[in-house]
Amino acid sequence: MIKNFKILFSYRELLFSLTKKELKVKYRGSVLGFFWSLLNPILTMLVYTFVFSIVLRAGIKEFAIFLICALLPFNFLSNSVNYSTGSIISNSNLVNKIYFPREILPLSIVLANLFNFLLELVALFIALTVLGYKFYLFIYVLPILIFIQFFLVVGMTLLVSALNVFFRDLQHLITIIMMVWFFGTPIIYPLQMVPERFQFIIKLNPMTVYAAYYRNIFYYIKYPEGAGFPGIMETLIAVGITLLIFFIGYFVFKKLEPRFAEEI
Amino acid sequence: MNKKENRYREKRIKNPKNDVAVDIRSVFKRYRIYHEKIPSLKNTILRMKRTTFEEFLALDNVSFTVDHGQTLGIIGPNGSGKSTLLKLMAKIIQPTSGEVIVNGSLSALLELGAGFHPDLTGRENVYINAAILGMRKRDVDKKMDEIIEFSELAKFIDTPVKNYSSGMYMRLGFSVAINVNPDILLVDEVLAVGDQAFQAKCYKVIYNFMKRGKTIIIVSHDLDTVSDLCSKVVFLRNGKIEDIGRPLDIVTKYRAYIEELDKKRIIEHQRAERKKIFKTVIEDNKKVIDGEEISRLSNLSVNEGTLKRFGSGDAQIQDIKLLDNKNREVDFCKYGDDIKIVYEVLFRKKVEEPIFGVRITDFKGNIVYGTNTRLNNIKTGIFKKGDIVKVTFRQKISLIGGAYQISLAVGYKDNKTYCDWINDMFTLNVIHKNRAEGISDLNPEISLSKTISKI
Repeated sequence: MIKNFKILFSYRELLFSLTKKELKVKYRGSVLGFFWSLLNPILTMLVYTFVFSIVLRAGIKEFAIFLICALLPFNFLSNSVNYSTGSIISNSNLVNKIYFPREILPLSIVLANLFNFLLELVALFIALTVLGYKFYLFIYVLPILIFIQFFLVVGMTLLVSALNVFFRDLQHLITIIMMVWFFGTPIIYPLQMVPERFQFIIKLNPMTVYAAYYRNIFYYIKYPEGAGFPGIMETLIAVGITLLIFFIGYFVFKKLEPRFAEEI
Repeated sequence: MNKKENRYREKRIKNPKNDVAVDIRSVFKRYRIYHEKIPSLKNTILRMKRTTFEEFLALDNVSFTVDHGQTLGIIGPNGSGKSTLLKLMAKIIQPTSGEVIVNGSLSALLELGAGFHPDLTGRENVYINAAILGMRKRDVDKKMDEIIEFSELAKFIDTPVKNYSSGMYMRLGFSVAINVNPDILLVDEVLAVGDQAFQAKCYKVIYNFMKRGKTIIIVSHDLDTVSDLCSKVVFLRNGKIEDIGRPLDIVTKYRAYIEELDKKRIIEHQRAERKKIFKTVIEDNKKVIDGEEISRLSNLSVNEGTLKRFGSGDAQIQDIKLLDNKNREVDFCKYGDDIKIVYEVLFRKKVEEPIFGVRITDFKGNIVYGTNTRLNNIKTGIFKKGDIVKVTFRQKISLIGGAYQISLAVGYKDNKTYCDWINDMFTLNVIHKNRAEGISDLNPEISLSKTISKI
């Protein structure tokens, strides 16, 4: 595994060029560039805010902010997974003709989405500061949080991009799985609303824990230790599951990688 | 670069084993060809197993070595495993068994401009393409001018490549690839890039590469290139090494093999064509018995030139053969050989004094020679319904080399209407040791007598 990381490291420039390419292609042809990509979460936020605080009257204070600080990290996951599913197949001309560590293909998509996510966080930071939030007291948790979530995202993308070479219809399934995952994570609702007997399952979802952390930082503005949820135990379980997914993704990818060129 | 090379030489002296750049050790590569078109989860779950597949042995116990500084050519017919071999060396695929050992950095030119993104400019694509081929950004920065100059695309380098012509695309791809500067270069049929001038430039680059002591492995169908550039050639056939050795010997051997193959292919094709015609002959016979098709057939004689077969059907040509003087079926002969055109005619109605004929045309459709029983003043007599006659034309083929078509006919005594006419029944290939223009050989004797000028 260390050897593989060394090889990957020697190809870092390719990884960064491809990441740059992803971003360039995404923003090319629009003067507003990055601001267009902000439009999606903002519109989603407006729609959900309308539905939940005006139509359904869920009674959550400042629902827009409540929502967006969990929505952005989840979008980082779901966009990465959705876009990287077909990354090996759509680059068949490269995979068939040139050797390079194949994980670069899904990884470049993750990095491009990470970059996007960070920019969104900066925009959120600015917006909240203007609104007078004092969340910056606890922002030191953020880099660690993003780092851990990054492993979850990488694990998932490695897994789906490799499996998709062998099961082409996985793409459709992934869309559904990501939707279920979205509603299975307390993003549009607070965890407390979930009936006691379901909370156990919801808490096993590492995204539940990470979303709660993001929310504690930006919305509740509580020290992570003093927030009640997530506690140490829940955090450790989430990190454990994250690492498990990462290693499964990694080993499945490495196991299937030699056959990519023959199968596509 | 120099430092690196020096270091590299020292290493080579210390370790004589490293003289070998690429070592292929009893490599097998087996492909699975799945019967299912697109692998899917749905099918897997429904059937609880993957669908059936066939195994295909692309490489069958292949071993050879390439020394540093050597230029190796790999030749062989399509599907012989050449590209599989290159892909193994480039680590794109893994051998089923055996070992592929590569000493030194390797770059593969299997496809030019692979991974170019249409929306990005030429310059941006150069960076990505170079990175894919394993080049550092600062090296690309240094070589950027060189790359652009070589590609002759200075004007267009900042336009998106989707606006490039395919030639421009390939030129840019090649310019990036040759600037990567690996120890070992794999080239797969990519030297045919751009116009003549650009090709000449490409060859120069390859020569320079060789001069600097780099290793090159080329797959090509261009046998002249292979014998020009290579110091060693591998001839692959059906995944096995047919022969390996000096370029001239191997290329000659391969050429002979291709010629043999071509000949077989032509014979096979003609056999199939003939079968097709025989089949229609038999079917036509059946129809004529019913008596309904006769008028239709005679109507068809209007555009006789383009039709494969036409006539009233009162007599049918069948069992057609082209024989040499030992009565073997042939489709080629040497100049001056005797050839027999033999066919049977089955009469469906009473016909008086029919005319039997043959016609030989060249491939443009010009009549080379035609004859029939009438022109030779042969009385054929009266044939009743059900009579069969066997007609033999023995011809001396005094034609220059080339392909000729043979047509056959049975006509009524008026010499204007026909019972049955089959156009281009056979192709006869005539082999002649001398070349000439036209069609007939007039047996020249050429002499020169020179008068020396007195001035």
